[in-house]
Amino acid sequence: MPHLTRRTIGDLTLCALVIAGSSILFIGAATLPAPRFEPMGSAAVPRILGGLLIILSLVVAVQSLRAPQDEAEPPAAIPFRGTLVLVTLIAYVAALDVLRVPFLIATPVFVVVSGLIMSHLSFRNAFMFSALGLGVTFLVDLVLTKFLYITIG
Amino acid sequence: MLDAFSLLFQWQNLAFLVLGTGLGIVVGAIPGLTATMLIALTLPLTFHMDPVSAVTLLIGEYVGGISGGLITAILLRMPGTPASIVTTFDGYPMSQSGRPERALALGIMASVVGGVISWMFLAGMSPSLARFALQFGPWEYFTLVLMALVMLAVLAQGSLAKGLMGAALGMAFALPGIDSSIGQARLTFGSSTLLSGFGLLPVLIGAFAISQVLRDANGANTALKIDPPKKRLPVYWSDIRTHGPNMLRSSLIGTWIGLLPGIGGNIAALVSYSTTKQLSKTPEKFGTGHEPGVVSGETANNASIGGALIPLITMGIPGSVTEAILIGALTIHNLQPGPLLFQNAPEIAYGIIAAYLVANIIMLLMMWGAVKWIARVVLIPRSVLLSVILVFCVTGSYAVNSSFADVWVMIAFGVIGLGLEAAKVPLGPFVIGFVLSPIAEEQLRASLMMSDGNVAEILTRPWALFFLVLCILTLAWPAIAGRLANRARPEP
Repeated sequence: MPHLTRRTIGDLTLCALVIAGSSILFIGAATLPAPRFEPMGSAAVPRILGGLLIILSLVVAVQSLRAPQDEAEPPAAIPFRGTLVLVTLIAYVAALDVLRVPFLIATPVFVVVSGLIMSHLSFRNAFMFSALGLGVTFLVDLVLTKFLYITIG
Repeated sequence: MLDAFSLLFQWQNLAFLVLGTGLGIVVGAIPGLTATMLIALTLPLTFHMDPVSAVTLLIGEYVGGISGGLITAILLRMPGTPASIVTTFDGYPMSQSGRPERALALGIMASVVGGVISWMFLAGMSPSLARFALQFGPWEYFTLVLMALVMLAVLAQGSLAKGLMGAALGMAFALPGIDSSIGQARLTFGSSTLLSGFGLLPVLIGAFAISQVLRDANGANTALKIDPPKKRLPVYWSDIRTHGPNMLRSSLIGTWIGLLPGIGGNIAALVSYSTTKQLSKTPEKFGTGHEPGVVSGETANNASIGGALIPLITMGIPGSVTEAILIGALTIHNLQPGPLLFQNAPEIAYGIIAAYLVANIIMLLMMWGAVKWIARVVLIPRSVLLSVILVFCVTGSYAVNSSFADVWVMIAFGVIGLGLEAAKVPLGPFVIGFVLSPIAEEQLRASLMMSDGNVAEILTRPWALFFLVLCILTLAWPAIAGRLANRARPEP
């Protein structure tokens, strides 16, 4: 088996995921009724797109395998801090949605944590993001509740 | 048109236009934050606004966002928006050689002239083009949408197959929900949440704002240093003679390129810069701080906005992601962009045209008067901006339907956007595929119903056939261009 670069492995993973997604389109389309009032029916476009995605995945896979393996550039790495921010974001939304933590409490905490992840830990930054979090929270809450009549959390 | 101007000058609409233009300039000036991101984030707020106010706010943000990019392009060699990349070639050397004020003055003037000339085309061509487009039937619309998608995919940077894959994936994500033709659930797999499909706003905010914040989070700690201009911005009457022909040519190039789907302001600026350089008697001066270099790029990138608005309001075809979001803004207010917009909602169609002109004038006044203060915005640490943007993303997605399902969808599309970018699949065709998929399917199904399933009927429709041929030529062009290049290359 030839030595594969990170980029080729990334491309092949993409193709595998897209083909898996296309199979979901075919499975979903199989449950739809046959056309009655029109020639195409509801299932035609999912099938067309599913087929197209499989063909394109195969083309991308072949192109990637045929590309010179030494010269291929590596795929862009997902940043470590970005991953931490994503985890914090998921925790924040889960706190609002699942745990029903009030917006006025969850949001300043989220701003402080995400801000510190993106900068660095220090008392000065913690103070700055606390003030920012409180300010943003009250401003957004004011706009949502007083002007748009929306309550979060 | 006069009614549109009088409606625009009502205080609340004018206030939203000023606000939008100001926000756009500030966000455009910050490298990494784009007009697209700003418009996607503001969209949920427009849900609760009067349609005219909503449109003026978004148009202001669009014009301001593209124009603001020149500030950091000239002062820092960091283009605030991709459309200002070309401005760095000569703007930054001018700034380094002690002429930042002159570079900014020329950039601002060029932006306004480009905007005003492309407005003339927008105002002059749109109503008649819309009347012409009224003749289009479902076959024409389907092939037009197909052509726009193919052009976007082909012209996106990187592999053609990945560009097409992005468009097809975007179209596939638009499929779940109630099939309006038969009123039955499709691809929902028993989930009641999916019955309404993936909302446009969560998808846009996720794909553009969340993915960008996650990508930028690593470098968010770095603070930029900037030396704002200290003297007044100098312009002279002789500039009309010196730079007038360049501005006119670059405006025409920008408007024409803006008309074509998928090309955008950065390519318009690059083509205009290359043309100006080729026509110049002193091409060797370009890249060393030559004034025509700044003028050509900035004129063309602003002119491309006016060009791109023409297919948007006359046919409902977005030329770029920003226009796709504007289509989303119109559909939120139950307005269908396209030729009927001029009949069903003339205040919106003409309002867009009027707002575009006034936004350019507001941009001139704001940038002229406040450029030294706007330049200081880049001193705000990125971590502060990004953490606030995340809160806006969550509240904005929630506010549309008061539902956390939309917020989860936004996060999911943020991750999908990040993954697609990492795999070098362009996001532009993905989002535009998502926006145009329902239109394409509806028109294709209507076409086949009208022709009793006979696909060959397309051959009897000249415009549909023309769009289809263009579509095939666009797909084949990379291979043809490669062949021609190989043939032109001398044999070893």
